[in-house]
Parts: sequence; C-alpha cells; structure tokens
Amino acid sequence: MISQQIVNGFMLGGVYVMIAVAFTLAIGVLNFLNFSIPGIFMIAGMVSWAALRGGQHWPIAFGIALAASAAVGVAVYLLTYRPSSDSDPEVPLVSSLGFLVLLENLIILWLGSDQQSFPALIVDFNWRFGSIIIGGAQLLSLVLSLAFVIALSLSLRFTNLGRQVRAIAENRRTATILGVNVGSVVSRLFVLSALFTGIGGILFAISYLQVSSSMGESIGFKGISAMIIGGMGNIWGAVAGGLLIGLVEILSTQFLGADFVNISVYGLLLALLIAKPEGLFGPVAAREKL
Amino acid sequence: MSELILKAESLSACYGRVEALSDVSLQVARGEIVTVVGANGAGKSTLLQSILGAVSPKAGKLTFAGQDITRWPIYRRIEEGLVLVPEGRRILVSMTIEENLLLGAHMRRDKIAVRREIGGIYDRFPNLAQRRNHNASCLSGGEQQMLALGRALLAKPQLLMMDEPSLGLSPLFVQRLFELIQAYNREGLSILLIEQNTANALRIAHRATVLELGRVALEGDAASVAGSTGLQEAYLGGTSREVMEVDHKRKSVGRRS
Repeated sequence: MISQQIVNGFMLGGVYVMIAVAFTLAIGVLNFLNFSIPGIFMIAGMVSWAALRGGQHWPIAFGIALAASAAVGVAVYLLTYRPSSDSDPEVPLVSSLGFLVLLENLIILWLGSDQQSFPALIVDFNWRFGSIIIGGAQLLSLVLSLAFVIALSLSLRFTNLGRQVRAIAENRRTATILGVNVGSVVSRLFVLSALFTGIGGILFAISYLQVSSSMGESIGFKGISAMIIGGMGNIWGAVAGGLLIGLVEILSTQFLGADFVNISVYGLLLALLIAKPEGLFGPVAAREKL
Repeated sequence: MSELILKAESLSACYGRVEALSDVSLQVARGEIVTVVGANGAGKSTLLQSILGAVSPKAGKLTFAGQDITRWPIYRRIEEGLVLVPEGRRILVSMTIEENLLLGAHMRRDKIAVRREIGGIYDRFPNLAQRRNHNASCLSGGEQQMLALGRALLAKPQLLMMDEPSLGLSPLFVQRLFELIQAYNREGLSILLIEQNTANALRIAHRATVLELGRVALEGDAASVAGSTGLQEAYLGGTSREVMEVDHKRKSVGRRS
C-alpha cells in the first residue's frame, strides 16, 4: 500500500522535474528567477490542445507547441532579460512576472479560461508489478523527463557549448574575457530552458489529460520549490527536489487529506530552508554549479 | 620595422569617471615582445582592457593584423587572435584542468589540432598533465599561471597579451615564466606584456613603453628605457610638477626605425 503511494509520488514528481530544471538553468547560469516559465508551460499545453482540436496529428501539434515555447523564450530574452542586463537582478524578475500574466491573458482571450480535456494519445494501460500498479502515460513522462535531464547534464559536461555555459555560470566576466560570445550563448540558453518547460507542459497534458490557462501557476510554484530544495543551480538537485515534492504531495493526500497538500509541500520547503538554507544537494558555495 | 600586428593610435579611455588613458599610442610588430610598465594606477590595465575591447575607448583607433577592430566585440577580436592572459589568472575552478584548456579553444573547429596542441601543452607542463581530470582549484598559483598561459595559447593567438603574469608567484616560478615567454616568442609569437616586475620585463622585451598617469612618459628600446632616468622619474614621480614637465616633453629615447 505505502509502496504504491511512493510510486505514485514519483510519477507526480516527474511533472515537476522538467520545470524545476528549466528554473535551475536560468538561476544557475544567469542568476535570473524567470517567472515566465510557468506561462511557457501553460502555452505548450494549451497550444498542443488547440492544434489537436484543429485536426493536426500529434507530432505536428507538439512541434507547433514547442516552436511556440521557444518563440516565447526568445521574446522573454529580448524583452525582459537583455534590456535590463546592466541593472539590478530584480528588474527582469518583475518584467518576467509581467510576461506570465500577459501570456495567461492572451490565452484566455484566444482559447478561454475553462479547463479543457486533453485527448488521450496513449492507449490507457497499466503495468502491474506484484501489488503495485503503474500508469503507462505517467511512467512514459517520468522516463522521458529523466532522459532529457541526462542528455542535458551530459551536454553541459562534454560539449563545447556546455563548457561555455558553465564558464558563464561560474564567472560571466571571465567567460567574456576568454572570448565566449555571452549574448549568443545566453539566448540559446533561454531557448533551451523554454523547450524543457514546453516538453514538461506537453508531458503533463498527456499524463493528466487536462489543460487550462492557469495550469502553469501551481505547478510553476512547486517547480520553483523543487529548484530551491535542490540547491538553486544544481540540476540533479532540482530533479530530486521535484520527485520529493511529488512524494510529499501524495503521502500527505493519503494520510492527512487533500486540504493538507499545500501546507505539507510549502511547510517542508520552509523547514528545509531553515535547517539547510543551501538546499539538500547544493554545495553552491563551492561554486560547483549545474 | 617589420609588419605591425597591433597599432593603437591616440587611445583615450575612462575608468569610471576618471580619465585613465589619454592619447596613448602603441605599436607591436610581428615577432616582438613589447612591454608596458608604470606605477600602480598608471593606466596599464585600462590600456590592455581597451585593446581587448572590455573597456570601450572614448577616442582613438585600433588596428590589428591590418583590420580596424576599434568597434569589434571582444569575442571577435579573440577569434582573430588577439588573446589575453588576464590579471589574476581567472582560472575556472568549477572545471577540470583539461576543461579549462578546452574552453580556451572554444572558438576553434579544428578539433584534431586542438587535441594535438593540448598534448603539446601537457608535454611542456607535466604538472598539468598528471592532474588533467582534477578540479583546477587544486593547482598552486604558479601552476594556475601555466594553465592560464596554456589556455590562451589554445586560442591560437597572433598577439598574446599578458596582464601582470608574475603577480603573486614565487621567485622560482617568476623566472620560469619569463623563460617561457621568451621561448614562445622565439617560436614566433608576438607578445604585449604588462608588468610591475619592471626589471625582468625590460630584460626580455625588445621595446618598452612607460606609462605615467595615463600618458606615455617614455618609449623606446627596452635597453635604453631600462637605462634612462625617465623611468625612475615615472615611478617615483606620481604627481610632482617636475615629472609632469618630463611627461609633456615626451622623451623618446633610442627609438628603432
């Protein structure tokens, strides 16, 4: 019984993984809390839904949704981050929050504010391992999320672009003096972070079969919490934070009741921040980021 | 004089609101070691930062390898081979030694040649080779300077600029460093060296420029500059009227033609 709940918790946590990693990329490299990320998550879900409703095949629908996510990521870079790169870090934070509100209202104007049911694209199937039942769509999305994070982690470690990103994360000025084209790398980072978010939004829609103009908000805040728990700038910490939040949610629904979910999640965040302010896995003080 | 690799004409630049450079001209010919010396705050670092593009000069013109680079961004200058070994080394301590070297070559597409050159650097610096996959924070100051030098060489410099490379090094490493600079120069590398260690810098350089309060106080053959009284004046002077007059006369000793 409890093992079933733990499995369910990890499946739910898989939803937070992608968005937590997207936040982590922006914080870890740019020291920028990019509040437009929940909006991009929602855009990906809603645009996929609209394209599917319009009769597109799912690969095309998801392609359109990811293109829209990337385009919004570029717009956020050009309109919020770049113009204020010389000012206080709070300025892009506030303007990206403005972007979130803008995106939600544009979607409400276009597609309405109702919750929409997302078509089931994967045949509904469950796996049984003894007494444990695992939903196919949830498992697929957890596995895909982890695969994308592994790919990201490997490319940061072993590719030329990855080394440039890590150089910027450690010391932007040093990276500039060594000839890294910081503007170009940062704009690509925005696209990457938006794509991670967009994939997260699509996986959420596939697994939970519902989308709405406000779907990014609660998940976005839990993604931020997961990032903080993981140590603000540590990718695998963000993954662990996401899974932990999913686990706490399910267990507290089971044992304390649904009303306690947010109390448990944010109570845990608060307790962790008091006990271990650097996050569970974050030796960020040692400057070993990402 | 053989072909010029770098020509800075009448550079003026501010550091904050203070004018840190005024009307400074400097030339480096291919194959030369040119050193810029001067007291603290004389504008040496600002001059280097202006040539690199990290500080944008208020006035003046920069020509590098025959191209006007005055308005180029830093990364383009480095792609073209105008490479800096920065003050304080600026090693990335979250990366391994090998990753630091690879980062130096990040703009290059000839991966095989990069691998070969990294091997060459390991041959020259066995200390780096042994710990190639260790975090760069494990290196001593001297070893970090070798790493910073190797990293800059991997960017394929046409002109290598070095900002206070001997700062904070043990005497043994200082000696090693100056030998290395000469060795790389003999292999054909042009070098612009900024140093507080004036005696050593003047010993290995072909030509020297003495900066004082952001202006060129003296320039010429390194040997003549080393022997001139103007050098002492520039160092001891600071703001005294006498030195200002020397400065206005712009002594030029033993200039090569």
